[in-house]
Amino acid sequence: MSAAAEPLETVQEHFVHPALFYRDEGEYLDGTVSFVREGLAAGEPVAVAVPGDRLRLIRDALGADADAVRLLDMREAGRNPGRIIPGVLRAFADTCPAGQRVRIIGEPIWAGRSAAEYPACVQHEALINAAFQGRTVTILCPYDAVRLPGHVLADAYATHPTVIPAGSRTVRDSEAYAPDAVVARYNEPLPLVADAMTVPFAAESLPSARHAATEEGRRLGLTGITLEDLALATAELTTNSVLHGGGAGVLRIWAEGGHVLCEVRDGGRLTDPLAGRRPASRDQRGGRGLLLVNLIADLVRVHTGDEGTTIRCWFAR
Amino acid sequence: MSDTRHRTPGPGVSGPSLTVRPLEGCGGVRVAGEIGLATHSIWERVLEQAVRGGESVYYLELSEVTFVDVAGAGALVAAAERLEDGRRFVVRRPPPALRRVLKMLWPHLPAIEVATS
Repeated sequence: MSAAAEPLETVQEHFVHPALFYRDEGEYLDGTVSFVREGLAAGEPVAVAVPGDRLRLIRDALGADADAVRLLDMREAGRNPGRIIPGVLRAFADTCPAGQRVRIIGEPIWAGRSAAEYPACVQHEALINAAFQGRTVTILCPYDAVRLPGHVLADAYATHPTVIPAGSRTVRDSEAYAPDAVVARYNEPLPLVADAMTVPFAAESLPSARHAATEEGRRLGLTGITLEDLALATAELTTNSVLHGGGAGVLRIWAEGGHVLCEVRDGGRLTDPLAGRRPASRDQRGGRGLLLVNLIADLVRVHTGDEGTTIRCWFAR
Repeated sequence: MSDTRHRTPGPGVSGPSLTVRPLEGCGGVRVAGEIGLATHSIWERVLEQAVRGGESVYYLELSEVTFVDVAGAGALVAAAERLEDGRRFVVRRPPPALRRVLKMLWPHLPAIEVATS
């Protein structure tokens, strides 16, 4: 039996995570639709999570085959980059039979992601590698080589072990691959905001801190489920500070443009980079607070180091 | 001045509590208060008792519970997982936070029924 007759699986790495660079609609569809069709032909479960306008392009190009693909608008499902691993990628991959290859197109970074969002986006891309190590999953990440700035394209070479350059169909190793360095580089300080409502808290004042956050959130324009979400995020972050962050911390609430922000600072250090990015399992108790915050907030930013940890989350008002 | 916006909860703040009373006419309890770090142990005792009881349906009347955090919801989920086949919890009129957490973290739980009335 010749080597060429070996099934693909024995040759291929378990986890495959290429960045696909495209310059126009033609290159976009060429790279994504062929990836989907290859998966469908091999009987693999396939999901596509890209911004809505491009999701429609792919759906239309797939025609009737689109029915066999899970389609998600990444602007909604992946609004907060911190929830893409648990809420999109693993939510899909974990429902598929173990050992079977799963194919996903994930486009978490598009032109228009804000300066506040970008560090969380690029850290997410870097952390995918650790989250899926050893799993038979392929995640293709398209990058708009025309509209995204140069440093974003350069970062994609550091967060992806392999790349498909624009206009090419060939997968190459990325010489610049260094995901841990990216996570560290974008662990950016979150400077203190001057005009925030400020509430120091400890174990006995957890309920009053949450009540103060809810009151301030309402005053700043949050209502209904979003106001409940602010209360939940406050409860989880402040409780984490009490349990794991030195027993106390400082809560701040303020508004910025269309969002209400909630921030908790404490003296602890977050050592697990995948904290809050693993799906809730039934047999595990505790540690689900940060996951919930990722699932409900529009953006979560974290800065952690020897001097303490700051977690800031955004809620649209 | 920003002083009016800087709130330091004083030592006089009374601790949160959870009160538990048996329901009349059916197996279950009526719980009142907040479920958070200070009251988890009370809540877990309630759930332990519920798991040990033999009722096919155990009612948790939560209309007077104002908040449940993720650990409190997780304790409910863990207790429901321990129920023998055919038994279930009916959670009556829970606060929005509990419904939100269950929906986001544990959307498929056959042994917990959430009743709004």
